Amino acid sequence: MNPKSRRRCALLCAAFIGLFSVFSFRLVYLQVIKHDEYAGLAAEKHVYKQNIYAERGPILDTNNEVLAHNIPVETVVADATHLNDAQAVVDVVSDQLGIEPEQLAEKLSSGRRYIVIKREVPEALARALAEKLRGGNLRGIYFEHDAARIYPNGSMLCHVIGFTDFEHHGIQGVEASMEEYLHGHDGYRFIEHNRAGQEIVPYRGQERAPRDGYHVHLTVDLNLQNIVENEIDAAMQEYSPQKATIILMRPQTGEILAIANRPNFDLNFRSEAKPEEMKNRAIIDMMEPGSTFKIVAAAASLNEHKLRPDSTVFCENGVWNFGGAVLHDHRPFSYLTVRDILIKSSNIGAAKLALSVGESKFYEYIRRFGFGERTGIELPGEINGLIRPPQSWSKISITRIPMGHEIGVTPLQMTLAMAAIANGGKLVMPRIVKSITTSDRRTISSLSPVVLRQVISPETAKQIGDALRGVVSDQGTAAAAAIPGFTIAGKTGTAQKVDPKGGYEQGKYVVSFVGYLPAEHPEFVGLVVLDDAKTSKPELNYGGLVAGPIFSRLAEKAARYLDLEPHEEIRKAIPVERVRKTTPVERDRKGVPVERVALTNASNH
Amino acid sequence: MNAASLARWIVMTAFLALTGLSYVYLTLQLYYLGERKKAVEDELASLRTQNNVAGVQIAALTSRAALQRRLKEGYLKMIPISENNIVRLTIPPRQPDADAIQPVKNQSTSK
Repeated sequence: MNPKSRRRCALLCAAFIGLFSVFSFRLVYLQVIKHDEYAGLAAEKHVYKQNIYAERGPILDTNNEVLAHNIPVETVVADATHLNDAQAVVDVVSDQLGIEPEQLAEKLSSGRRYIVIKREVPEALARALAEKLRGGNLRGIYFEHDAARIYPNGSMLCHVIGFTDFEHHGIQGVEASMEEYLHGHDGYRFIEHNRAGQEIVPYRGQERAPRDGYHVHLTVDLNLQNIVENEIDAAMQEYSPQKATIILMRPQTGEILAIANRPNFDLNFRSEAKPEEMKNRAIIDMMEPGSTFKIVAAAASLNEHKLRPDSTVFCENGVWNFGGAVLHDHRPFSYLTVRDILIKSSNIGAAKLALSVGESKFYEYIRRFGFGERTGIELPGEINGLIRPPQSWSKISITRIPMGHEIGVTPLQMTLAMAAIANGGKLVMPRIVKSITTSDRRTISSLSPVVLRQVISPETAKQIGDALRGVVSDQGTAAAAAIPGFTIAGKTGTAQKVDPKGGYEQGKYVVSFVGYLPAEHPEFVGLVVLDDAKTSKPELNYGGLVAGPIFSRLAEKAARYLDLEPHEEIRKAIPVERVRKTTPVERDRKGVPVERVALTNASNH
Repeated sequence: MNAASLARWIVMTAFLALTGLSYVYLTLQLYYLGERKKAVEDELASLRTQNNVAGVQIAALTSRAALQRRLKEGYLKMIPISENNIVRLTIPPRQPDADAIQPVKNQSTSK
């Protein structure tokens, strides 16, 4: 080979080497450097992440009765690019789902790849539709598994249970406060599919199982709740109050056994509910408690050893000019013992009890009883109430606050204060959630009673309790709250309604009764509050006459359900056939002793 | 080619053929079992759904509202138990020192 040819040959070889080197570099670039990017792009075409949705946990009562549950439903969606016979699909789907064909055809003609046709389609209906589509060999319609929240008991316990939004996030009640536990965690799976869109199971990729929401068990007993609901409904029918609240609580543990508010709403038709009906008035409504608040003044005075239960206080014969303002009693009292101040519900007596400890000490006791701060119950939206510090009190505040004026408390706070008396002076935190468990009954968290503080000594609590037993007697303001066979301790309250524009509304009252039974070993504390009850006569609109009998009826049923043994002596005295309770009107008609009518019809007791 | 060599080739070919067939068979089995797995998963999901639907129906039918409706309709009858029909077991009073730690001895071995 001559040198010229050799050079030509070498050049050709070099060109080939260069060319193949470029190819090699390109190959390495594509296969090694850009591997992940192109592998990802390729995977996108046939691999996708399939979400596996976690089921929201149910809410159950203390006996595992279902309060909130999920029902499986399907969301019907369409991929317009997969439709093989749009008209036939429109005919079948519109017929099955009850959608206007024109409306559906318009949706499908958009050409989008994800069109939601209908949500919350029942499983059976979705199955029938799928069968029809398969039978007609129609493609392009898909079903996405979903769940709808249902509440078997409708309006019962509606304010406590709450509800979820469109995306299954709790927005009220326990649904909201226990969202973290109820929601669960969705799982996923990477799958590959063939040209027909069917999964190729052997090529399944990474997978994570969903974790369903936990079961939330409430302290509420649905049997007691039913009793309370029936009584509050009867009260609404009889007295047509603007608002009403009933609470039953176990004083030793703070467990809420039942809680009901009116007006209420059906959880399954929450979109139709009015805002007023959705308020949990037990924790977000502020009221002037009236005479039920006298227990705080008495407790402060006795606990500070300023007075003894049998110490006498001059009650100014019913009219007392203090700080330039006149304070009245509902009837003239001269000398009353501390015990009798509670039994007869003397405003002047209660004011003098508060004066005996002074403003700052009295304020301290108000706060120690839990007023002016949230109770800590596991429900959203609770308010503090309104207690002004002594610095901003007027000269007469010390005489008005003991009778439950110039302050705002929630019904739950008032129940809690009475529970502290029933519980030997210990203030416990109210609880509505008993435990949180998994679906296989493994406990994640369980209730243990939380004692917040010792408000008053056990001796003082006993002294107050003894006086409160007298309230539910013929000498007291709540004779109608008595239950044959049981000793009850309680206190009535009648407060004039506060006018939002200022002052008080004439002729409108918030009547209440808060008590516990059996007085010796309290099993439950109950509160009944009726806002603006309509009675046949205005003089009958008092706590002892309206709220007292409601408490009596519901407490009797609750005692029977809880199998509380009636007090032996009284049981012998009462015939087995229960004496039918008379309404205040009937009682009036049957000629109750004049003295008691006068007593119970008096203002502010 | 001698017989031994031929036999060796035949065995090797047969082995390779068998391996190939096994590969194909196992691959098909993989797909088949995958389909079966998917079908069983679907069936399980369907049963779970049916179970949930049944659970919801039970909850609805045993709810307070439903029971009270049936009570009103006369399907259920409830009679209050009178006080004289209730038998209560009296719990014997505990001795004050019942909870105290006390020394014990096994009588059978004591002398």
